[in-house]
Amino acid sequence: MWLYLVILLDDASTSYCHYRPHPQSLSQSGGRKSLMPIDTLKNGIRFGMKENLMIQFVYPERPLPEEYNEVVESIDHSKIKLVNATTPNPSFPKEGSKDADVLVVNEWDTLPQKAEVPIVIRTSKDDFFARYKEIFTLLANAPRVNISFTDVEAFTEADFETYKNVLAEIGKEVERLFVKGKTPQLNLLTDRMMLTQMNNCGAGDTTITLAPNGKFYVCPAFYYEDEKDCIGDLEHGLDVKNKQLYKLEYAPICRHCDAYQCHRCIWLNRKLTLEVNTPSREQCVIAHLERNASRELLANIRKHGTFMPDTEIKEIDYLDPFDKREEW
Amino acid sequence: MERPWKEGFSKSITFIVTKDCQLACKYCYLVGKNSKERMTWEVAKQAIDYILDHESEFKEDSVVWEFIGGEPFLEIELIDTICDYLKTEMFYRNHHWFNSYRFNFSTNGINYHTEKVQRFINKNREHLSIGITIDGTKRKHDLNRIWKTKEMEQGVMPRPEEKHGSYDDVIKNIPLWLAQFPNEGTKVTISSADIPYIYESVLHLYSLGIHEVNINCVFEDVWKEGDDVRFEEQLMQLADAIIDGGYYEDYTCSFFSEHIGKPMDKVQENQNWCGAGMMLSIDAAGNFYPCTRFAGYSLRNKKPIIIGNVHDGIDKNKLRPFLTLDRTTQSPKECIDCEVASGCAWCQGENYDAADTPTIYQRATAICKMHKARVRANNYYWNKLYRKLELEGLREEYEKSKRKVKQEIC
Repeated sequence: MWLYLVILLDDASTSYCHYRPHPQSLSQSGGRKSLMPIDTLKNGIRFGMKENLMIQFVYPERPLPEEYNEVVESIDHSKIKLVNATTPNPSFPKEGSKDADVLVVNEWDTLPQKAEVPIVIRTSKDDFFARYKEIFTLLANAPRVNISFTDVEAFTEADFETYKNVLAEIGKEVERLFVKGKTPQLNLLTDRMMLTQMNNCGAGDTTITLAPNGKFYVCPAFYYEDEKDCIGDLEHGLDVKNKQLYKLEYAPICRHCDAYQCHRCIWLNRKLTLEVNTPSREQCVIAHLERNASRELLANIRKHGTFMPDTEIKEIDYLDPFDKREEW
Repeated sequence: MERPWKEGFSKSITFIVTKDCQLACKYCYLVGKNSKERMTWEVAKQAIDYILDHESEFKEDSVVWEFIGGEPFLEIELIDTICDYLKTEMFYRNHHWFNSYRFNFSTNGINYHTEKVQRFINKNREHLSIGITIDGTKRKHDLNRIWKTKEMEQGVMPRPEEKHGSYDDVIKNIPLWLAQFPNEGTKVTISSADIPYIYESVLHLYSLGIHEVNINCVFEDVWKEGDDVRFEEQLMQLADAIIDGGYYEDYTCSFFSEHIGKPMDKVQENQNWCGAGMMLSIDAAGNFYPCTRFAGYSLRNKKPIIIGNVHDGIDKNKLRPFLTLDRTTQSPKECIDCEVASGCAWCQGENYDAADTPTIYQRATAICKMHKARVRANNYYWNKLYRKLELEGLREEYEKSKRKVKQEIC
């Protein structure tokens, strides 16, 4: 069932996930305006209203014309904006991102120390391994921090080991904050403790994306990768072939998995395994390292007193459910 | 000492040695055949070295080295070199496949008698399986299995009177083949135009001394209105002939199997039908495929699925969808709930090629009505046969000695 509609207000809207924003292919497509035409925006909002969808607007770095803001405010919504960036208009980002519901950090040097809204940090693995301690202050001073790796496919066996150690280090800080009475939220570690079932990205299943060209996509990454890869348009409506394959029940590996916090990124699935319902080994191992670190964190917090007594994360002997497929 | 052949636990590795063939069979799924893409020895050697260098990743007890085309015997010299190298390398490396291997061929039979092919056969006889495709009677065989003309290579189809069947060129080699491989079966393919000739063709093949006829309908969406009725009629006639003529004692026809036509349990019987992904195919460019059917020359509508190459090895991420694919995830509800589901086959490559999106997870159902017709005739066959055997007091004896029917799927 569709629940969310992501509207990319501009071809240069920020990425808030694994994919690269605004690739070469779009900037070279020639002649087309990169800003979503205002009629398309209005029609997109009407579509969302008729389908009862929660709308998330994804903003570009540059400011929108004033009439766009009026249209955006005509419907209940969330705003996803870039927190800061190098820009010809240095006064914009901080001013322009004031009303954001989610702020995206693309560069570690722009990481805020404090935020009123959830922060998404898009990072390469190497940058994260080098600078992960910089999120400690933010963890205590933001309602939520999401880490989104931009190079999942590049994780090596050595990186997995490093990631395991890094998660353990972050776990110590999260534990310290819990003991101090704070309730930090970090997708890598605390989500799994709170979840009792899969809670993934939902692209193609619960969430669809409307691009500036008036066409629907499984998620923004599908649009940026290949504009022709659409699943309908505003004029004719949605036309999602093999829609069932975006659902958990139709994902043989994922439906046997309890790394409930996993992004289960549909775009990475298709990119790395050629199937939207099949995760790569990298995605599975990353998610299981997080799962296991969450289990460890839960045990460590409980040393200080009763904490989520009904929650149990079982000990398992694998990092990739694929390796256990003979037992399914 | 030679290790026993491990049927069912073997790795199938296919060399697409050429995309050329002397014939242009009308039902052939290889839509991109050409005379240019011939495997070189360098590519073949790189593939072998990669596979044997990575012994720990190929854990199956045994291996079937398959050679496919086009027509594989067009490249008999290359194949001979490949097989010699495989044998010596498996020996020198003390590889666990040494003495647990077979070389497998499916050929149109035209070059079977030639000196080079015969020399190869004599050299590798103990490890060789060769199936010659003969489609049945001359009129059935020549209906589809026609010689390629030069004009065809330029896309010009011959007029009906210019079509030249290959039956006479194949049939002359059948006695030699059966003398060398008396237990080999033949593979018969049925498309819409072949239906009227099924009965006569199976009996004809029996009369040639071929005891095992592996026969299947094409998976492509070629079926016309009423084909299922005509198909069922042919199978009923065939059933009567096999039973009344006593052929069931020494001959098999894969259309008749006791295990088809039953509902299937969603959990216990959830395995994938097809072995794509557990096999490995290599083409002339050195690319790896999960099965030959995913190579470009096999696909009408989709891009090839390449899972690696001789330089970089196998991308295991691209194998994951194949190795986790099960029956129910790819099947529509009508197939999951089908009362006669067992034995209904599919080809993963055709599923992919016919799917609405680039996925192997959408089962093509073009064959549905043909399977249901087959099941009705199959039920008739077994009811009639067992009643006959019971009346003759021979059922128990038959059960003990009956020939196993191979479920040939592609």
